[in-house]
Amino acid sequence: MESVEYFEVECPEETGGAYYSRIADVVLLDHNLIRVIKKLHIFIDPGVPIFIAVGVTRKLPGVVRLRDFAEVNATGQKIIISIGDETHLAALLQILWGRYGKEAVEQPDRFTIVLSDEGQESGDIEDLPVFDPTESIYKDLIYALMVIQPEGFKVRRQWYGKEKFYLVASEDTLPENIEDLIREKFALMGERL
Amino acid sequence: MNLVPVTYRGGIYRHDEIIDLIEDLGGYIIQKHVLAQEVVLQALLPKEDIALIAAIAKPLTGEITPSPLVGTEIAVVTMSLEIHHLPHASCDVAEYIRRFGAKTNMVGLARGFGKRIAQMNDEERDVINEHDLAVYLLGDFETCIQQKFPVLRRGIEVPIVVCAGPSRETLQRIIDPPVDGYVGNVGRFMHRTKESEELTKLDEVVEEITNVLDRKREEIAKDPPSVSPARLMDVINEQVDEIHEVLSPTPVTVQMTGLRVKLPYDTFARVLRDIPIEEGITIGEIADIVPSRMRDYILMRVRPFSETNIMV
Repeated sequence: MESVEYFEVECPEETGGAYYSRIADVVLLDHNLIRVIKKLHIFIDPGVPIFIAVGVTRKLPGVVRLRDFAEVNATGQKIIISIGDETHLAALLQILWGRYGKEAVEQPDRFTIVLSDEGQESGDIEDLPVFDPTESIYKDLIYALMVIQPEGFKVRRQWYGKEKFYLVASEDTLPENIEDLIREKFALMGERL
Repeated sequence: MNLVPVTYRGGIYRHDEIIDLIEDLGGYIIQKHVLAQEVVLQALLPKEDIALIAAIAKPLTGEITPSPLVGTEIAVVTMSLEIHHLPHASCDVAEYIRRFGAKTNMVGLARGFGKRIAQMNDEERDVINEHDLAVYLLGDFETCIQQKFPVLRRGIEVPIVVCAGPSRETLQRIIDPPVDGYVGNVGRFMHRTKESEELTKLDEVVEEITNVLDRKREEIAKDPPSVSPARLMDVINEQVDEIHEVLSPTPVTVQMTGLRVKLPYDTFARVLRDIPIEEGITIGEIADIVPSRMRDYILMRVRPFSETNIMV
């Protein structure tokens, strides 16, 4: 957790808190999320019981566009897309099929896509957003927090966006002032929700 | 004859001689593993003959180590089979106990998690009660353990060893009435146990289990079962051919005062009941044969000498 700017586990039970600090460390490391997190504050009170995790992420990688992993050549009435890295190929094909229809998208081999659509500018296609990593990173983050939290806390509320996230969980109905508690925990890190 | 639980490790070459020797001396092979060129035997040997077997095994590079848990079946009770408890710590503990000869079964409770919502159903309770001992793997918070443990131990008649995050002293303080064994600082964790202090902790779990089982053995010795379960296993292996077609690692699992036979109850209960052990004495006369709650297996509980007045 050295790379995380702020990491704190707050718990009325000292021993339990120390264990959860280790658990959080291991889980985030296993899910490759340590480098994503800038600040993380976890509050567990087994007496209530409640689990609150609030945090701030680092600047996340931007949207992957077609130009980032493929070359586009417009020849006559056809546009040829040569794929360099096929990681996002499946997502790209889905988008192209939706936009032009399957009949207009040919794939003569694994690394080539031919679009036979008239009046297309190759420039438009190059900027096509194919994959947004932010969404999946936040989903992974929430999943990791669900692994960290004590099991059996089935009542949950989570939120992410604007480089901030939180997850609250309990066995019972969440208290009415839960928003205030979350703000309080953000304030401990010197942040505002 | 005093039988001692041991593990024999040696090469596959001439290992059948060792097996014959153990059987001739009146010992029992509980489990045999053949791993490539190595053979591991978990056996009960007559105490006075261990030196002799060790001497004969020496040229075959075989060695005998004491395994206090051979011949026991232990339930490792984990609060759920979710990622929160598996594979660490539940599997780590279950696997480590297995190294000392015990047959461990993991019992993952359907609703064991949580503080207020934790509960145990009758099937889980009965399955745990079919074992010699139950190891409860609880979490890290004493508040939770204090509230939920009474629910999880309700109806459990076998000795319980509690492993949890708080220290041993804390566990002794919060668990009332007391259980048979406590191991502190083995609660919920998400990493593999490989560092030396973590392995020491697992050794502590084994030690605690051994102590509890030793006390149970002493109790049993006051009124011993009418036949040694290991001997009963041998009888079944000899007389029931179908047992050799069972694919489980231990088709007949030896317990301290009974056996679990992995054959369907409806078909084989009568067959087993009528098997003669010695002239004029059948299994049915000295053991209760009941259906197990685990699949459709058969559970045999050997009656004590005081009930049957028979000792074979």
